[in-house]
Amino acid sequence: MKIDTENILSVSDYLDLVNGKLEELSAKIIGEVGKVTLDAKGHAYFSMRDEKDNSVMSCIMWASKYRMFGIKLEEGMKIIAYGKPNMYKPSGRFSFVTETLEPAGEGELKKKYEELKAKLAKEGLFDESEKRPIPDYVQKIGIITSKQGAVLSDFLSNIGGHGFNIKMIDSRVEGAEAVADLLACINTFKKQDIEVLVIMRGGGSFESLQAFNNELLVREVAGFPVPVIAAIGHDKDVPLISLAADLGVSTPSIVTVALNDSWNKAELHLERFTKGIVSGFESVLNNQKFLINNAINIFTVGFSAVIRSIGQKLDSTEQLVQANNPERQLKRGYSISYIGDKVIRSIKEVKAGDKMNISVSDGIINSQVK
Amino acid sequence: MDTKNLNKNLKRLAEISEWFNGRKDVNLEEDLKIVKEASILIKESREQLKEVENSFEEIKKEIESEKEVK
Repeated sequence: MKIDTENILSVSDYLDLVNGKLEELSAKIIGEVGKVTLDAKGHAYFSMRDEKDNSVMSCIMWASKYRMFGIKLEEGMKIIAYGKPNMYKPSGRFSFVTETLEPAGEGELKKKYEELKAKLAKEGLFDESEKRPIPDYVQKIGIITSKQGAVLSDFLSNIGGHGFNIKMIDSRVEGAEAVADLLACINTFKKQDIEVLVIMRGGGSFESLQAFNNELLVREVAGFPVPVIAAIGHDKDVPLISLAADLGVSTPSIVTVALNDSWNKAELHLERFTKGIVSGFESVLNNQKFLINNAINIFTVGFSAVIRSIGQKLDSTEQLVQANNPERQLKRGYSISYIGDKVIRSIKEVKAGDKMNISVSDGIINSQVK
Repeated sequence: MDTKNLNKNLKRLAEISEWFNGRKDVNLEEDLKIVKEASILIKESREQLKEVENSFEEIKKEIESEKEVK
């Protein structure tokens, strides 16, 4: 926009115009920290000096941001600050309004990392005894990650079909700017009905993972209302968020193993129970079959014996009857003598003159004893 | 003479056997009458027993075939 030089502006209007232009000059600046002053509200006023030519720039970081980044500014510290310039109207002073802050150089980063790690460890934030177990049969899962990376698809392709209800919030995961995003996501999930929170990011350099070493973020993870799983890819130095999480792993697929585990075991148990019930019932059926077959055998063998016994009785009765059949004896030439109805078995039973009937096979002979 | 009841037949034949084994005097007419009665009872009983045995064999076959199917 070209300024109309004919038009006379007030100081205030001009500064508004300048600040509007300065808005467009957001930048990431590296430099050495000069004098640092914190006011009563916690706003940080400091200067940044160029190493080469000693150029100096006044900077301000509002208290909320300063607390968020958890970096204690000290004179001589080399930092990278992201922000935009502004002319403060009441004083006309130029300031660089700092939005994000990170130590510059791996040596400095590592030093800050070790210091914070030692401090938080001393407070017990990484204690194993404080870790909460990942609940069995988790269904409601909250995920914080970048939807740009391969991490999310890796997670989704490995999570089992166990009826999971997954809510995902997209967040930047690299650089100091990611801290604000990650904190906002955590605060959102605090109000959501989830059983476990998963924070994921693919592997990267120590510098690129700095957001996950942010003190405020680490404290939020340690104090989160439900168990937190951190899956941050890393090389040597474990991100502090992973140490504070209830389960710290390095890949999304390991997260899915942890979440699927109880479900897979339950499925295995169900399969075993099913087999047990089937084989148990088969055993009962086989037992019943055995009892029935046994009863059939007893019945058939017993009844066969009854039939055989009746047949034998009929045979023996027939023999007895045939043995006593008078016709059979008479046909063989024997005869039976009667006097009246009495059978004569001895000569002593007769006297001369007795009328005697003699039965033979084909009739009766009437005779008289002499 | 009713000879259709196997149980009654067997009971009567048992009585006849006892009678033959226990009697002392021969009575030709009576003996003959009983021998004829016994012969009829034995013949009838054998036929009935055969029927029972056949029915039983049928039942056994059915049971065996059911066992094979299961």
